[in-house]
Amino acid sequence: MEITLIQGLLLFLVGFICALDAGLENFYWFRPLVVAFFAGIVVGDVQLGIACGAVAELSYLGLLTVGGTVPPDPLMAGMMTFVIAYTTGQDAKTALGLSLPFALLAQWVGIFFNTLYVGIAHKCDTYAVNGDTNRFGKLVVSGWLLKALVTGLLVFLCSYALQTPIQSFVNTFPTWLVHGFEVAGGILPAVGLGLLLMVSLNKENAPYLFLGFIMATFLDLPNVLPIAVVGVCLAYINYMHEKKVEESAAKITVNDFGGEEDGI
Amino acid sequence: MESRKLLKNGKSRGKLTKKDITKMSVLSFLEQASFSFERMQAPGFTLSMLPAAKKIFGDSKEDMAEFMTYNMEFINTEPHMATFLMGLILSMEEHGEDRKLIEGIRNGLFGPFAGLGDAIFWFTVLPISAAICCSLAQDGSILGPLLYIGIWLVAAISRIWFGSFGYKLGVKAVSTISEGTKYITKAAGILGVMVVGGLIPSYISLAFSESLKFGMGEGTTVQSVFDGILPNMLPLAIVFLIYWLFKKKNANVLVIILGIILFGIFMSFLGWM
Repeated sequence: MEITLIQGLLLFLVGFICALDAGLENFYWFRPLVVAFFAGIVVGDVQLGIACGAVAELSYLGLLTVGGTVPPDPLMAGMMTFVIAYTTGQDAKTALGLSLPFALLAQWVGIFFNTLYVGIAHKCDTYAVNGDTNRFGKLVVSGWLLKALVTGLLVFLCSYALQTPIQSFVNTFPTWLVHGFEVAGGILPAVGLGLLLMVSLNKENAPYLFLGFIMATFLDLPNVLPIAVVGVCLAYINYMHEKKVEESAAKITVNDFGGEEDGI
Repeated sequence: MESRKLLKNGKSRGKLTKKDITKMSVLSFLEQASFSFERMQAPGFTLSMLPAAKKIFGDSKEDMAEFMTYNMEFINTEPHMATFLMGLILSMEEHGEDRKLIEGIRNGLFGPFAGLGDAIFWFTVLPISAAICCSLAQDGSILGPLLYIGIWLVAAISRIWFGSFGYKLGVKAVSTISEGTKYITKAAGILGVMVVGGLIPSYISLAFSESLKFGMGEGTTVQSVFDGILPNMLPLAIVFLIYWLFKKKNANVLVIILGIILFGIFMSFLGWM
């Protein structure tokens, strides 16, 4: 289906507002689940927005954790997964794979700004030395607004202006290619989970990973909440156990020390 | 009561009210504004504390300049922990603690605090809320995104509590907090890892096509062989493969994503998946 100019402008607004939050990571409106939902509302296909958001959210789950690097942009991924699914009529998983170039584009824009804003930090140093709180505040806030504005424009261009080229490009794909993107879309959440594990998995907690996996595989659970509750219980049991071990270890050292003194 | 150190212009320090701290916490929503690779969160971090600092320092430009300068040093921490740290810093400034000490505490704590905050919000709240909300969303329920927005709204508002908590504890907090950090990080690790394990079967679809048989016996497909060993073993294997590539091979995220797309296209071309 086509995105009208009005819808394009509304998408700009969604992009701008969500990018304001992306700059702060405060309300998590930059996450694909929220972005695609809002996009679905303004375009008038909420169901598609929710479906696209769910698929994109899981793939981008761990993507902020890679220390120091800027990952493909989750905001743009959520937005373009929806836009591509809406304009080309493809399945959400296929659209997720096709949204990658746009997420990368936004990633590069992000890197550009993070480099450019080194200049803002240096200007802030000057204001700090002079104790100039007024200019300091204005500069920091305008840096934040400018980046969000550019992201909003990028959303407008990619969704409204580029929809016809995207549509005709995707329509030339043979069935196996489209299905290939769908297969890839099914595997992509593994990237997010792999990244989460990279920072949280260690020798001590590895068994818990298998526990969660086995529960989800063999029990007919409606969602992951029961697993989370069991996780909280196990974490508490582990905490109590560790505390006890540490306390008795402390006692032993004290006793040993005392014993030696007595001996002398 | 011990008398507070005077400001550099000889006047006494202004006192903060509960309202000032709440205002600081709300302003701390701007903590990552104008983030840059060199100083990271420093400009926004400094900005959030300015109105409260003005109240403490009054018209002492010299104190304000010193305060802004040390806060413009590099900082990168988890946003909730940043608000907590701001409360801590303002409490110490209000009491006229030695500025070198405050600076040391600021620079020494933001790293460990980042680890703690990430363990709570990034590795625990995010995967669990995303998992629950996405499973609602996949059933087509509008509750999925709404609940997600609600959870993170509460998380954002909780920064007001983090700010006043840091302010109340003041310098006393430092030892207590670093003691608790160890346990919380570990507990969050257990919970997070377990949820990730639970997400693997439901959110990764990786299976061979029903028609792929390789001339095996009647009714046996390649996939049924895998399922016979352990259902969902392919999704589990792919997660470990990616984990290994990241951890041991320092693989680039982009390379892995492109690799998955090429793999998907290739498998589809062969008709195997």
